[in-house]
Amino acid sequence: MSVEPVLEVVDLVVVYDGTTALHGVSLSVAPGEVLALLGPSGSGKSTLLHAVAGFLVPSGGTARLGGTPVAGNGRPVPPEKRDLAVVFQNYALWPHLSALDTVAYPARRRGVSREQSRREALELLDLLRIAHLADRRPAELSGGEQQRVGLARALARRPSLYLFDEPTAHLDAHVRDVFLQELVARRRGTGAAGIYATHDAEEALGLADRVALLRDGRLVQVGTPQQVYEEPVDLFAARLTGPASVIDAPDGAGRLLVRPGWARLGGPLEGRLRAVWFRGPHSDHLLDTAAGEVLVRQPGPPRHPVGACVGWTLVRSWPLAG
Amino acid sequence: MPSGGPPAVARNVALGGVLAVVAVLVVLPVLRLAAVLWWEGGDLHRILASAAVGEAARNTVLLAVGVTGAAVPIGVVMALTLRRPDLPGRTFWRVAVLAPLVVPDFVLGYSWTQAYARAGFTDTALGWHWAGLLGPRGVWLVLVVNAAPLVYLVVAVGLAARAEPDGELAARVSGAGRVTALRTVTLPLLGPAVAAASVLVFVLTLGTFAIPQVLGTPAGFSTLTTRIYAGLSIGGDPASFLEAVLLALVLVLVAAACVAPADALLGPRLRTTRPADVQAAQVVPGPAAMRRAQATGLAGYLFLTTALPLAALSLASVTRALGVAPTPANWSLEHFRQVLTPRTLEALGRSLTLSVVAASLLVLLGALVAVGERRRSGRAMGTLVVLTLVLPGSTLAVALLITYGRWLSGSLVLILLAYLAKLWAVAHRPIAGALDRLPADELFAARASGAGPLTAVRTVALRPMAPALLGAWLICFLTALHEVTMSSLLYGSGGETLAVVVLNAQELGRVGPSAALSVVLALLVAVPALALWWAARWARARGVARTAMSPREVPGVR
Amino acid sequence: MTVPSESVAEPDGKWRRRPAPAVPAAVALLLLAACGADSGATDVGTGRAEPITLYTCLSDQSIQPVIEAFEARPDGGQVDLFRAPTGELNARVAADARSGGLRADVVWGCDPLTVQAFVDQGLVGGWTPPGADTVPVEFRTRDYVGGHVLYMVAVHRTDTAAPRTWSDLAEDGYTSLAVPDPAVAASALGALGWFAAEPAYGVDFFERLRARGAVQVSTPDAVTTGVAQGIYDAGITIANSAYAAKEDGSPVDVVWPEPGAVAVYGPLALATGSADSDVAKSFISFVVSEEGQTVLGASGAYPTVPGVEGPTVPPGAPVVSPDWAAIAADKDAVLAEYQQVFGG
Repeated sequence: MSVEPVLEVVDLVVVYDGTTALHGVSLSVAPGEVLALLGPSGSGKSTLLHAVAGFLVPSGGTARLGGTPVAGNGRPVPPEKRDLAVVFQNYALWPHLSALDTVAYPARRRGVSREQSRREALELLDLLRIAHLADRRPAELSGGEQQRVGLARALARRPSLYLFDEPTAHLDAHVRDVFLQELVARRRGTGAAGIYATHDAEEALGLADRVALLRDGRLVQVGTPQQVYEEPVDLFAARLTGPASVIDAPDGAGRLLVRPGWARLGGPLEGRLRAVWFRGPHSDHLLDTAAGEVLVRQPGPPRHPVGACVGWTLVRSWPLAG
Repeated sequence: MPSGGPPAVARNVALGGVLAVVAVLVVLPVLRLAAVLWWEGGDLHRILASAAVGEAARNTVLLAVGVTGAAVPIGVVMALTLRRPDLPGRTFWRVAVLAPLVVPDFVLGYSWTQAYARAGFTDTALGWHWAGLLGPRGVWLVLVVNAAPLVYLVVAVGLAARAEPDGELAARVSGAGRVTALRTVTLPLLGPAVAAASVLVFVLTLGTFAIPQVLGTPAGFSTLTTRIYAGLSIGGDPASFLEAVLLALVLVLVAAACVAPADALLGPRLRTTRPADVQAAQVVPGPAAMRRAQATGLAGYLFLTTALPLAALSLASVTRALGVAPTPANWSLEHFRQVLTPRTLEALGRSLTLSVVAASLLVLLGALVAVGERRRSGRAMGTLVVLTLVLPGSTLAVALLITYGRWLSGSLVLILLAYLAKLWAVAHRPIAGALDRLPADELFAARASGAGPLTAVRTVALRPMAPALLGAWLICFLTALHEVTMSSLLYGSGGETLAVVVLNAQELGRVGPSAALSVVLALLVAVPALALWWAARWARARGVARTAMSPREVPGVR
Repeated sequence: MTVPSESVAEPDGKWRRRPAPAVPAAVALLLLAACGADSGATDVGTGRAEPITLYTCLSDQSIQPVIEAFEARPDGGQVDLFRAPTGELNARVAADARSGGLRADVVWGCDPLTVQAFVDQGLVGGWTPPGADTVPVEFRTRDYVGGHVLYMVAVHRTDTAAPRTWSDLAEDGYTSLAVPDPAVAASALGALGWFAAEPAYGVDFFERLRARGAVQVSTPDAVTTGVAQGIYDAGITIANSAYAAKEDGSPVDVVWPEPGAVAVYGPLALATGSADSDVAKSFISFVVSEEGQTVLGASGAYPTVPGVEGPTVPPGAPVVSPDWAAIAADKDAVLAEYQQVFGG
C-alpha cells in the first residue's frame, strides 16, 4: 500500500531575472521523513524551499502538498493556505512582537482566541525551555533563543511539512530532539515531514532520513545519508558529503573515493606523513602516497612524527564515476 | 592609532555644534518674533479672542488633521503598491506619483481650477464642473493630493530599508492572509516611517498658504496663514504686523503642542525596534488580476489628480491667453519667451546653486539631528526643527531678517538660512525614519575593523541610508528651486532667484508665465533624472551594477 | 616624510573628522556671499556717489526703464532695486525697522495707506521735490508724491453685457462676480473706502453684489485670472491687469464705470535716514518730471502728471479719488462692516 507523500514536486523550474535557478527538480517527501537539501550556496536550496512555500511562483512543473496541487496547476495557492511552516535563515522574528505573541501568531490566524493561543504558545516555549523569555522582544534575545522562538512559531502552526531555510546556527541537541519528537508524535493523518536546507554535510547526514544533493539548480543524487556518503555518484557529491580522498585505482581503471575511516595505518602500502591533526578520540593523518593524497583516521593520539615514512592499508573504497 | 582624542569629548562637541545650528536657525528667530510682541505689546488679547481668528485657527487645525488623515493612507497604499516588482509599468508609476512635487503650490491650485472649475477642462468637454473646488473641500482635496507623494516618498524609503525582510513571508506562512499580514506585520513595522510622514504632513498643512489662498478665499474660508498674509499685506500698519506675528507664533505653539507629545511618546518606542540586516523586503506574488486592478486603480487616481490638472497647466503654458481654447491655433511660446531671458538664465544658475547647496546641507543637518536626537541631551532637537517648518515663508523670512538682517540683509546667505530653517524638518524626518532601521552592530563592526566614526558612516551606513538621503535631498532641492515667498522677501540687488525674476517681470499671479516656469523647472529636473535613469539601466545591462543586486530583490516571474 | 604633509596624508585621522561637515558649509557660504556682493562692487568703477536702494511694488516691466533712464542722466546714480508684492514689501520694511532701520533710500509704494503708515512710523517722509506741484493735489501730500496711478475698473467676459455704472454689476446679467480682498490688497481697500463713503453706494453695494453671487478672491490679479478663465462673469480689478489679459487675447473687456474708476496712486517717499542723499532726491524729482513720467507711461504704468502719454484710457473715462485720510481713520470700522458681508 502506497502512502500519499507529504510533498511531491515534479519537474520544477524557477526562472528569475532571466536566470534559471531550478532546472526541473523532482522530489517527494514521505510522512514522518526528514529530507536534507544539501548543496553549496547558490545551488538552489532556498529557491526550492521558497517555491514550495509559495514565496515564488515557479515557471514550470508542479508541486503537490498532501496530494493537493499548490503550484503549476492554474492559480497558485498563497502561502497562508499551504499546510506548512518555515524556520527562516535569520528566523524572521517580528521586531514589534514579544516571543509569546510571535508564537501565538499562527494560532490567532486559525481563529483561536487570544487567551487560548497564548496558552498554547507558552506551552511550546516551555517545551523549548524558554518560557521565562515569553515577554521579550527579538532585540532582547540571543541568537540561540531567537532560533527557539522561530521553531516554536513553526510548531505552533502544526503543519504537515516543516521547511528549514538554512538556519544560521545548527539546531542544538535539545531543539533537534524536540523537533524530531514532534514529527513522530504528530499523527495528524499520516504524519508530518521536514525539509532541511543546509550546506553543512555533517548536519545534513546526522539529521535526515534522506539527503538530496543539489548543484546549480539540479538534483545530483537522492539517497539515505549512508548512500550519499558511501556511494556518491560523482566527485562533486563525494566532496559535498564529507572529507574525501581521491586516489588512482591500483588497476589504473579510474579513480577511487577513500573516506577517512576507510584506510588504516600499518600495512603493505607506503606513504609519507605530510600532516597530522589530533582530534581527541582520533587523529587524522594526511599521507602522500604513490596513488595520491590519502586522509587516514586512526583512533588515539598521533603515533608518528610529520615527515615519517609509514605503511598503510586500504580497507575500503568506492569507484567514482567520470 | 586611527582614532585620536577622547571620543566622548568629540561627541559632545559635535552635539554642541548641532545645537548651536538649531539655535541659530530655529530658536533665535522664533524668540526674536516673540520679543517683537513682548516689546511692542498691542492688544494681543483682543486679537486672540476675536471670532475670526478663532475660526481661522479651527479651520487650520481641522484642515491639518483632515489632510493628514487622508494623505497618509493614500501615500502608504501607493508605497505598498509600487514596491511590487511585478506591477505592470512600475518604473513609470514610481516617477509619475512624484509629479505634484515638481509644481509650486499656487500653480498647482490654479491647475485644478483650470481642470475642474467652472469653464475648466471638464466643464468645456463634458459640461461638468465641481463647485466645491473653490472652498474648504477643494482646499482639502488638493492639499491631500499634494501631500500624498511626500508620504509615499517617506514610506517607500522606509520599506526599502526594512529591518526584517522575511517578516511578511513569516506571517504569510504562519497562516496570515494578505490583508492580515499587512495589518499585523507590515504596517506596525512601518511605524517610524508612517509617524515621520504624518508629522511632516500635519505640520506642512498647518503652515501651507498658497492653496488655501487660491482655493479657499473665494468661499470665505480663512486659515491662520491667510490671515497672517493679510496682516502683513495691509497698509504697513504696525498693529496688523503684530497680529501677523502673533498668529505666526500661535501656529508655532500649535505645532509644538501637537508634535512634541507625539515625538516624546512615539520617538523612544519606535527607536527600540530591533535593527537587523537592511534589505528590501521580498513580496509574495499575488494573482495577476489583482496586479492589473492595482495598476488600473493607480492609473485612474493619477489621471484624475495629476495628469488632468498638469495637462491643463501645460496647455496654459503654451496657450497665448487665459480663457481662449487651448487649441493649436491659439498656441504660442510667448510665455516661455518671457521666462527664458538672459536675466532668468543668470538667476537660474543662482537658483540651482542655491538649491543644490541648500539640499546638500539640509541632508547633512537632517542626518545630524537624526543622530543627535538619539542621545538624551539631544532628544528635543527633532521637535525643535519642526517649529520653523510650520512658520509661513513670509513670517520665517521676517524673523530671519529681524534677527540677522543687520549683517546679512540682501545677501544670498540669508536666503540660504531661510531654506535651511524652513526645510530642516523635511530633511530630518525621512532620514530619522531610515536611521532607526540601521543596525548599530554594523557601525560597531566597522569601528572595530579600524574605521573612524566618519569612515564607518561613509562605508557602512551610507549605502543602506542612500534611498532616504536621496529622497530627502530631492524634496529639499525641488522645494528650494521653486520657492517664491521667502526669496522674494529676502533677495538683494543682483541676487534674484529664478522665481523672483519670473514673478517680478509680471505681477505675482500671472498664470501663463508661472505655468511656463513650472514646465521649465519640471523639464530641468526630469531631463537629468531620466538621463541618469537611462545611464543606470545601461550600466546594469552591461553588468556593472549586477553584483550589487541580490536575488532577493527579484522575486518570481510570470 | 615631512611634518606638514603628515597631517594631510593621515587617511582617517584627526584633521578630516570634525571639519568635514563644516568645510562644504563654509565654502557654500563664501560662494553665496560672493554672489551677493558682486553688484555692490560695481559702483567703484563709475566713480560716482553711493548707489541708492529703492523699495517698490511696481512690476519690473514698469520700473526697469525708469531706473535705466535715471542712471543714464548726469545727475543720476546707481539704483539697487528691491521689488516685491505689497505684502512682502511691507514685511521687509517692518523687519528692517526692527533690525537697525529701513535699508531703503526711496520707497515707491502702490497705495497711499501703506506709505502713510511708514510716515507715521517715522521711516519716510518730510520731503517732496520742488517740481511736485505738477502732480494733482489729490495725488500728493507733504510727505510723499504720487509716481503712478492704479485704476480700479470693471472687467467682464465678452459674452456678457458691459456694465455702464458700478451699480450695474449688482443687476441682472451676471451670475458670478469676483471682488478683491481689501484685507489683502490696498487697492481694493481704496475702492472699498470710496464706495463706503459714496452715498449712492455704501457697504450696501457689496451686500448687493454678494446677493448676485459675488465672491471675494485675494488680489485684483486673481480677479482678472478668474474672469479670463471663465470662472466669473465679471469683477473689480486694476486696469493694468485687465488690459494685459485683453491684449493677450483673453475673451474679456474693460470698462471704466460711472461715476468713475477709483484712482489709487503709488507714492514716492524719501527715507528719513536718507534726507541728505542727493541721488535719492534727484531720483524722486526725476520720476515726477515730465521726462520720467513719459518713460513710465511708455512702460505700462499710468502717470500721475496730467497730459503725459500713458497706457490705455478710454476717451472721457471718468475717474474718482478716495479720501485717503478718511479711509485711514475709518479703516477698521469699514473693514469690520465689510467683513459682515464677505466674512474672512
